Amino acid sequence: MASSISSSEQIGADTSRQTLPSGLRLTAADRPGVAQPVPERDIPDQPWRGISLVVLVLLILLTSLWEWKMRSLKLVPGDESDGTYDSWARLRHQVDKRDVPVLIIGDSRILYDTDLDRVAQLTGVRPIQLAIVGSSGLPILEDIADDSHFKGLAIVGMAETAFFDTKHTVARPKEALELSRWESPSKRASYQIQRVISPGLAMLDEDYQLSTLIFHLDPDWRHGVRGPYHDVWKVGESGADGQAWIWRRLEHDQRLSAHARSVWHQLFPPFPIDDKSINGILVRTKTAVDKIRARGGDVVFVRPPSGPDMRAIEDKHIPKARAWDALLAYTHTNGIHTDDLPASQNLVLPEGSHLTRACATVFTDAYIRVVAQQTPLLHLKSDLPRALSTQDCVQTPVASMH
Amino acid sequence: MIFNSLVFVVFFAIVLILHAMPFSWRVKKINLLIASYIFYAAWNPPFVILLWLSTVVDWFAARGLAQAEQQWKRRAWMLLSIVVSLGLLCYFKYGHFLVENFAHLVSLAGFKYSPPQSSIVLPIGISFYTFATMSYTLDIYLRRAEPARNFLDYALFVTFFPHLVAGPIMRPTELVPQFEVPHKATPYQLRFGLALMTLGLFEKAVLADGFLGPVVDQIYNGRTVPGFIDAWVGTLAFSGQIFCDFAGYSITAIGAALCLGFALSDNFRFPYAAIGFTDFWRRWHITLSAWLRDYLYIPLGGNRHGNARTYFSLLATMLIGGLWHGASWTFVVWGGLHGLYLSVERLLRKQFSGYRPGRIASGSLGLLTFVLVNIAWVFFRSKTFHQAIVILRGMFGRNAHAEPALAAIYIITTVVIITGLVLAHCSMRNQTLEAAIGRSHPTALTALWTIMAFAVVIQHGESNGFIYFQF
Repeated sequence: MASSISSSEQIGADTSRQTLPSGLRLTAADRPGVAQPVPERDIPDQPWRGISLVVLVLLILLTSLWEWKMRSLKLVPGDESDGTYDSWARLRHQVDKRDVPVLIIGDSRILYDTDLDRVAQLTGVRPIQLAIVGSSGLPILEDIADDSHFKGLAIVGMAETAFFDTKHTVARPKEALELSRWESPSKRASYQIQRVISPGLAMLDEDYQLSTLIFHLDPDWRHGVRGPYHDVWKVGESGADGQAWIWRRLEHDQRLSAHARSVWHQLFPPFPIDDKSINGILVRTKTAVDKIRARGGDVVFVRPPSGPDMRAIEDKHIPKARAWDALLAYTHTNGIHTDDLPASQNLVLPEGSHLTRACATVFTDAYIRVVAQQTPLLHLKSDLPRALSTQDCVQTPVASMH
Repeated sequence: MIFNSLVFVVFFAIVLILHAMPFSWRVKKINLLIASYIFYAAWNPPFVILLWLSTVVDWFAARGLAQAEQQWKRRAWMLLSIVVSLGLLCYFKYGHFLVENFAHLVSLAGFKYSPPQSSIVLPIGISFYTFATMSYTLDIYLRRAEPARNFLDYALFVTFFPHLVAGPIMRPTELVPQFEVPHKATPYQLRFGLALMTLGLFEKAVLADGFLGPVVDQIYNGRTVPGFIDAWVGTLAFSGQIFCDFAGYSITAIGAALCLGFALSDNFRFPYAAIGFTDFWRRWHITLSAWLRDYLYIPLGGNRHGNARTYFSLLATMLIGGLWHGASWTFVVWGGLHGLYLSVERLLRKQFSGYRPGRIASGSLGLLTFVLVNIAWVFFRSKTFHQAIVILRGMFGRNAHAEPALAAIYIITTVVIITGLVLAHCSMRNQTLEAAIGRSHPTALTALWTIMAFAVVIQHGESNGFIYFQF
């Protein structure tokens, strides 16, 4: 069979020259040991003007239809919950640039369950939100502890399963911190362009990429394999100002919330965390807390609610006495556990792990009032709005209460 | 800056507009040069200094070479160029690797030496632009080419952004003459260039990153011991990923240059339709294999000094070619395997010199080539030899405790893509892409272009770097 090129002193080839079949052009492979001439690039004989115009029109049409479809699926233009850390890096830089009175660190629970505007209504201070989905707050706490600029209050939210994990929840904070320390000019510029176009487009959500949607079609067709169907699907939505919520569709779509719940159950298998790991985390946390306190700052821990099914798994994974109680005792730190907060009982958690928007505001209202009592670094305003209660948020139809 | 990023879209639009403005040719070239430096500096600005260093040293070495009359002076200028280029490459790319191996060697001799933690960052594309600048001085040394007439043309040859960081590895004689006379894309070139860019981005963003990358990661980054199906699908996925990633980059680069009115060299010619390994290397990364042939294989003796010398040159070239891809012994083994394949093929060709395979035999030989190329890819992708052996054992059905690792959807998408890719390569193996496009019906072409562009739009997501950037 004919080859694409003629042969001469090609690597491993004989030196006899073959004829070049028609429809081919010579390449560098055909010209051994000589100066390579200017390449030829022929343009195929096609009505390119008409083709390109039709392609452009069709592309605009299809993209518009796709955008419409994505909006009908309750994706939101400007949503920045895309698994990248550009926005996070910018928020982190604020700690270096100005006197930040309050910042929030932790995992997706404190991220989605905190209403920053409500904090501002209660205290006059809008915290910097540095919590990261699926991560332990400890690496960020240590980073902040090493940053002499920070002399304020760090509210550290946690699911113990994330905070005391030493394997699975440290990669994302590490990646985010690396980006905050060095970001290439092209990445910075891409982010700025993204911020310009993102508010007009809902389709940019990475959970709704073409390949992701196709991969999710497979509900375990192959026996014995848990495939991408069991990955975490879209859970949250967020804006550029750091405010994040549970994704609005999860509040009403029982199929999606049931899927998310089943994924959480798989993500936290009830194997116990060993004492050595726990002690290591306690020591690191105390070191970080002490550094912040030495500068006049303070740290308060917050444990947001989880549904009864999730809580049962979490308690098997790492019981409250071994984690939460030990943490507060060892670090001599104040903390607010959802169990001890009357206003956070019976809130709605559509997928068992995160509160609805309305309930997040109620939870925020409750825990911020207690934080203000526990630390002199946060003061409630004199014209305080009334305290919120469970009744302010439980009318959501999905029944997943505890 | 990478092609599949928003910032490149804006950058490229500005470059196109500037290039279409009624400036003098010199001003347009300066614009392109500045744009190319911005393109490179967008990763890490300080590394532009390396690019300048490489550019300036080879410019002066080439001038010295051209003016020198005695052979020893010519050789000295040539060596200066080689030492600086390879020195940069060795320090940034192989420094840590060399120190690690040195430590291992002295430990074998009973000495204990712990090398300091390396903080060397690999400058993007250094392997590509050092090879481009070396070819400039080497061509002049070998009296194949004259030095460029002015520094601007030469600097633009080195820096021209479409080929700068991942090839095609251009030779000065291919590009410098294009910069000497005004070039502006015709409307046809512009439209066809955009079509090529769409094809390249489709291969990269949709096929390589979207569909094949996750499958490869599942096998090569996972902890499961793969069985026959999983090991093969994971490796086939990698063969598709590396092709779509790199050929996608090359096609995008060729399209981008064409939009500006310039022609870059072919870098791939449907390699998975190769019959035999000589044929494969005429189709895979053509500009690198031709570079290695011209500046390494032939100077080592090529095939003109007897069998022993030929096999030595062949193996040495392929081993160095393997090492070019990365500072790891797994790459060397990959190169060595290809050297072995080529040597065996050469022996067989001599043994059966009169044999002309028919259609079935050609198909079988093509299939055998593809299978052996995939076996070599295992070493290319594996981080360690242990991992490579585990996967190879899986491919031969020898993993006793294998577990299923890939979901059915991963297997289905990989098989569909790889089958489509191989069939496309087979159907076009004896023609150029342009010839195939020229024979297509305009409606089919419109539909294909639209589907690819739409797939790129709805795949979007975070821009992943190209695999070959790390080389």
